[in-house]
Amino acid sequence: MKRALVFFSLLLCFGIMLIAVVNMPPMGDPKSMMMTGPPGRAPIPRYLSEGRQEAGAENIITDIILNYRGYDTNGEVTVIFTALMAVLAVLNRERKNVSYCDIETSPVKRSVVVYTIVRIMLPFILLFSLYVILFGEVGPGGGFQGGTIIAAAAIIFILIFGYSQGMERFPTTWRMNFEGIAPLTFIAMGIIGLFLGRNYLTFMFPGFSHASNLLLARSMLMIIEIGIGAGGAFIFTSIFFAMQREDKS
Amino acid sequence: MIWRLDTILLLFLVATSLIVVRSKDLLAASLIFGAYSLIMCIVWQQLSAPDIALTEAAVGAGVTTVLFIVTISKTTRKEEE
Repeated sequence: MKRALVFFSLLLCFGIMLIAVVNMPPMGDPKSMMMTGPPGRAPIPRYLSEGRQEAGAENIITDIILNYRGYDTNGEVTVIFTALMAVLAVLNRERKNVSYCDIETSPVKRSVVVYTIVRIMLPFILLFSLYVILFGEVGPGGGFQGGTIIAAAAIIFILIFGYSQGMERFPTTWRMNFEGIAPLTFIAMGIIGLFLGRNYLTFMFPGFSHASNLLLARSMLMIIEIGIGAGGAFIFTSIFFAMQREDKS
Repeated sequence: MIWRLDTILLLFLVATSLIVVRSKDLLAASLIFGAYSLIMCIVWQQLSAPDIALTEAAVGAGVTTVLFIVTISKTTRKEEE
C-alpha cells in the first residue's frame, strides 16, 4: 500500500515535470515571448541593445545578475548568509584546537605527494580565484564563483596542513567580522542609488556625464563582486570549520 | 552543438544519479555525486552558460563533496536498513 502510494506520487511528479519541460520554449528560439513580447518591453532585445548603457558592465550576464535582476541576487546573497546562520545554530562555533578530522591525530597519514602538490598549487588556485572575481565584469566569472574557489583553497589548506595551522591562519574572531560582508556591500551599493536620485540598485545616475557615470557604475559593480567573493569565501570556510567541531561523547 | 556528446553526457547523468540514489555506501555515493556535478558542469558549458558551469564545478563538485565527506567522517559510512 505504502509503496504503491510512493510510486503513484512519484509518477505524478514525473508527469508534471515532463509537461513543464515539453512546454518550455526551445533554446534560442527567436519567436519566444522573451524575444518578441509586447513592443519595447521584450526583455532579451533590451538587454542586448541597452544593457551596456543602462547597467554599466561589459558582460551582459553581469548586467542581468547585478542590475536587471539585482533583487534576486540580493536575496541569494542573503540566503547564503542565512545558511551559515542555520549551520551555526545547529552545530555551534568550533572550539580552539578540538577537531574530529585533524590530519595530526588522524589514523590516515599525510601523503607526501598530496602535501607537495597542494603546497605548490595553492598560490595558483588563489590567483585563479582573484582572476575569476575581477574578470566577472567583462566575461564569464563573478564574485560567487571566485569566492567559492577561495573557500575551496582554504578548505584544502586546512585538510592538508592540519586544523591547528588552519585556526592560526583563519582565526574565528577574525572571520566573524567578515561573514556578513556580502549582503552588506550589496545593500550599501544599492542604497547609494537611492541617495543619488534613482531607485534601489541602480547604477546609472542623472546629472553625471556618460563617461564618469560609466566609471562610477563599473567601480560599484566591482566593489559588489569583491564583496560577494569575500563574503562567500568567509561563509564557506566558517561552515567547514563549524562542521569540524567535535563533541565529547 | 555536438548532439552525440550531449546524448552521452545526459545518459551518464541519468546513470550517476541512479547510482547515487541506490548506493548503500554513502562515501561512494557522495563521490559519484561529485562526478555527477562534473558532468553537469560540461552540460552547462554545452548549453553555452560558462558562468553556471564555473559555479557548478566550484560548488557542486568541490565544496559540497567536501562537506558531505566531513559529515560522513562524523557519522557512519554505511546506510542502515
